[in-house]
Amino acid sequence: MTRRPVLEVRDLGARLPRRDGGHHLVLHGVSFSVAPGEVLAVVGESGAGKTMTLTALLGLLPARAEVRGEAVLHPPGSGSEPVSLLGLSERDRRRLRGRGIAHLPQGAATALTPVRTVGSQLRETARALGHGRASAERVVRAALARFGAEEELLGRYPHQLSGGQLQRFANAAALMGDPCLVLADEPTAGLDEDRAATTAAELRRQADEGRAVLVVTHDLRLAEDLADRVAVLYAGHTVETGPSARVLGHPRHPYTAALLAALPRHGLRPLAGEPPQAVGHVHGGCPFADRCPLVVDRCRAELPALRPAPGSDGDHRTACHRAEDLAAGPATSRPTGIPATVVAPPAGGGTC
Amino acid sequence: MSEASTLAWRPAHQRPPLLVRARERVGRSRTAIAVSLVVLAVLLPAAVLVPWLDPTAATHADITAVYSPPSAEHVLGTDGAGRDLLVRTLAALRTSFLVGLVAAAVATLIGVTVGALAAATVSWGRGAVDQLLMRLVDAVNAVPHLVLGVVIVAMLGPSVSSVITSIALTHWTTPARLVRAEMLSVQGRDFVDVAIVGGASRWRVTMRHVLPQVASRALLAAVLMVPHAIWHESALSFLGLGMPPHLPSLGAMIQDAQVAVFAGHWWPAFWPGLALVVVTLAVSGAAALLRPRERAL
Repeated sequence: MTRRPVLEVRDLGARLPRRDGGHHLVLHGVSFSVAPGEVLAVVGESGAGKTMTLTALLGLLPARAEVRGEAVLHPPGSGSEPVSLLGLSERDRRRLRGRGIAHLPQGAATALTPVRTVGSQLRETARALGHGRASAERVVRAALARFGAEEELLGRYPHQLSGGQLQRFANAAALMGDPCLVLADEPTAGLDEDRAATTAAELRRQADEGRAVLVVTHDLRLAEDLADRVAVLYAGHTVETGPSARVLGHPRHPYTAALLAALPRHGLRPLAGEPPQAVGHVHGGCPFADRCPLVVDRCRAELPALRPAPGSDGDHRTACHRAEDLAAGPATSRPTGIPATVVAPPAGGGTC
Repeated sequence: MSEASTLAWRPAHQRPPLLVRARERVGRSRTAIAVSLVVLAVLLPAAVLVPWLDPTAATHADITAVYSPPSAEHVLGTDGAGRDLLVRTLAALRTSFLVGLVAAAVATLIGVTVGALAAATVSWGRGAVDQLLMRLVDAVNAVPHLVLGVVIVAMLGPSVSSVITSIALTHWTTPARLVRAEMLSVQGRDFVDVAIVGGASRWRVTMRHVLPQVASRALLAAVLMVPHAIWHESALSFLGLGMPPHLPSLGAMIQDAQVAVFAGHWWPAFWPGLALVVVTLAVSGAAALLRPRERAL
């Protein structure tokens, strides 16, 4: 993957104002990149900052939020200037929305207005993208055809459609403007196997058509099956990133290893402890230190920077002082050093 | 961009245009709320205490000092009967506060009861009651409420209680609709289903799970209705229908001063008018305390 990335995020941080005048740090240092034709999965526990990252990229942070770092969009094709997504004016952002960047929100049903027909919402999207009345109609039909949404349902209201139909209409609306970057927030959450597979295939197709696709998920299996690249987030930091086969097959960060160990097929060994409540952890060291089985003094003193993982080309990067020791273990997705947490059966009680 | 500048914190959004910023600042400025509260904290005790300490001052006429302009002796001047405008305006304000607070409270109470009953009957499978109540709301709203208010005052005769009745009976429909709509939306939420499945009675679901969700809205509506009711009282008194003539009222004072304005005596109309405007702004400014906070995400 040597093509120039469509989106490059470096050291992205975000903080929100608190009532007492202080700040609430939600993103500390998030870095990753996505190239055209690639699917990047951003994975991590709830609260790791996955959705916050999307929110920052979309310019939807609360009014007085602050950011740092860089997020640059390079629209493919010659002659288009790179755009810095942080601190864009509302006007420039509007020009980018729908055309440059598309957002597939979590849950299609809630993304559509319940009081208007799906047809009128699709036409409105086309008009917002600058089409006249007649060409809007053409664009809507073309989008329906591309996403397999049924034309005869255009006159229906969202509550009259099934979840799968809604998903197709929402996709058609989001991707109508032919964006170069697609952001999908938990695209398979709450879907049955069948629909999840369809959705994954749709995202794959988006990438195959030359778009860069960023998928936020906590479903590691989806990341394995779908993504070309993975970025693992923990407490607002990118702790490991690289080609998904490398990262998920040969993790070089104990957190990634622990996430994999928690998968059912690896013995369902959940990581003990809780993720830090606040991203701004107290001791300036590694955010994972308190839960890490490999922790040494240095981890609590010094924040590890992202660096090329041992035994890889520069593409696989990890932020762990002890990556060498992880690498020294057997190269499997069952890392060493992770204690097998005993999952206690639920205590008795209940009448059933 | 250099390394140092990209790692520095900077605003996520560019500053919105000046006009938008100014509007937002005034809308949620703590200064505006503080000023409103101070104004109310001065005016409310003054309006209650001054007429109470000297009950005759507001009606004390002095034929030798008719239309005397603001001076050291009469700070705001005197009216056509030589009555001191400061004391009289404060006494009128007392009536205004009384009518405004009581009428708003009664109207909100009626409105919340009707609205909650209507919404609750929908969830209890008695939609006919809801239909009936809402058609009643429509019927009241169909008549211009000043006209309806005038009719009620005319029937009951001029007095404080008839003005309150008139305002309450014409203004309960807004909170009724608000509460009903809010409750219908809350009743559709998952936690209500959970409460029902958990075995809670209809009464309990309505009183403990649904109604508290709309309480803050109802309170805000009640507070914002206070200045509205004050204006209504003034309007009725201005038309000569509200307060009995001996009771000072802002509306009646402005009405009385109409002739004087043309003679160049601006002060008898100016002070009650100013009081009306200041009280209205102060109450709605203080109401900002009750507004829902800025949405986080």
